Amino acid sequence: MRNLFVAVILSSLLSGCVSSRIEQSRDSATGIESHEAIVLLGRASYNDKQTEESFTECIADVLGEGDNPIRLIEQSQFRDDLYPWFEPRTAPTSANELGKLFTEPGVQERIASVNVRYLAWIDGDTVTIDSGGSMSCTISTFGGGCFGMSYWEEDASYEAAIWDLKTMTSTGQISADANGTSYLAGLIIPVPILARPGNAACKGLANQLRAFIVGES
Amino acid sequence: MQFRGLLRQSLNVTAMLLVLQSCTTSVVVDGTVPTPLVSVIPARMGVYYSDEFRRFKHEEVFRDSGGWRIDLGNQNLRFFQNLTASLFAGVQEVHQPPLTTEEMRNLDGVFIPSIEKYGFLTPSISGLKFYSASIEYRVAMYDKVGTKIGDWNIVGYGKSEGGLFSSDEAINEATALAIRDGGARIAIELIDQPAVQNWLRSKHELIEPSAGPPGAAESIETPETPETREENVGVAPDA
Repeated sequence: MRNLFVAVILSSLLSGCVSSRIEQSRDSATGIESHEAIVLLGRASYNDKQTEESFTECIADVLGEGDNPIRLIEQSQFRDDLYPWFEPRTAPTSANELGKLFTEPGVQERIASVNVRYLAWIDGDTVTIDSGGSMSCTISTFGGGCFGMSYWEEDASYEAAIWDLKTMTSTGQISADANGTSYLAGLIIPVPILARPGNAACKGLANQLRAFIVGES
Repeated sequence: MQFRGLLRQSLNVTAMLLVLQSCTTSVVVDGTVPTPLVSVIPARMGVYYSDEFRRFKHEEVFRDSGGWRIDLGNQNLRFFQNLTASLFAGVQEVHQPPLTTEEMRNLDGVFIPSIEKYGFLTPSISGLKFYSASIEYRVAMYDKVGTKIGDWNIVGYGKSEGGLFSSDEAINEATALAIRDGGARIAIELIDQPAVQNWLRSKHELIEPSAGPPGAAESIETPETPETREENVGVAPDA
């Protein structure tokens, strides 16, 4: 019984395979001083897609840890401080609009007061592109169980557009694509084998963003 | 016997009410109230918030997800109090117009926000991953003598990711974002409206440093007082 339990726990810890690809294009040189900060902003639009808040939080967690953590200003704090200029329908859509935005009263001073050097717009989402299989679970007075197998394939596709607020220019873009299939096997109890393409895209994008910002790549 | 029957019926009705009550989700909307960083409109305005605006509630029953009772009055009021305080050179809450000449002495005009419509969607209705909310505001502005400067309809949208067991939080966030979005558009776009620009120009030309314009009307009881604003709705420019 104990072996079965251990086997179940180990199985549930198995991860499905994820393939990911990170690409970068640089427009200009970058670098960041210790007192300077970066803001990650999720793009939101009023269609059926929106960058998940959990994804930008995941990137922020990765950037804020390690030997060389990057100082981050929280997204909600930045949006509140610069209200109404970074709301979904009022935010600049390209770095070319920064010049005009900075002429608005108080905007440049507010950004300077918190030493925000870079702004990274995170755009994308994770979608289920395929699913199938079948599994049924029953329960009765004599016990219960699940039998069968189901799967779902997810695709995570994100892009970070990095703007330098000091020079008011776009410094480059980084894209991350990850794809993986998760399985749920019913062997009396349901055993999940989860692929986490969103997590893989987050880590890949965050590590590349760190290297990009500090000027290592 | 009759008494027992009556008692049983009462218990049944109470039980049914309790069941119905338990299927209703109540949300009191709460969120941040940021102060806008915008150009100040150089005018001292009286602001009138109707009781409906102050205590706005939306109730709706869906067959699948039960009833919803969403109270957005307080958040809406706090948001607009902060918004108008940043948007105009001076604000003072006033009673329902018309105001007397004396009451208008230190004011250049009256600003009246109202809510025309509120609506929301849950993922089970929209088929999307998000909860969404929209608020249609109407803001009307009147000058010192009660003549309508203009009125504008502004729609604010908000959406929020929702978990299976946190639909109330998601509706709260979507609604707070919709208020915020509507407020952002008012804060940015109101000053650029041609009618507002014309009014500011004429006010600048007429106004004396410490008093109202020469020959200011006795009261704002003109044909275009707020009471008759419905007549003007059809010709109102959209913001």
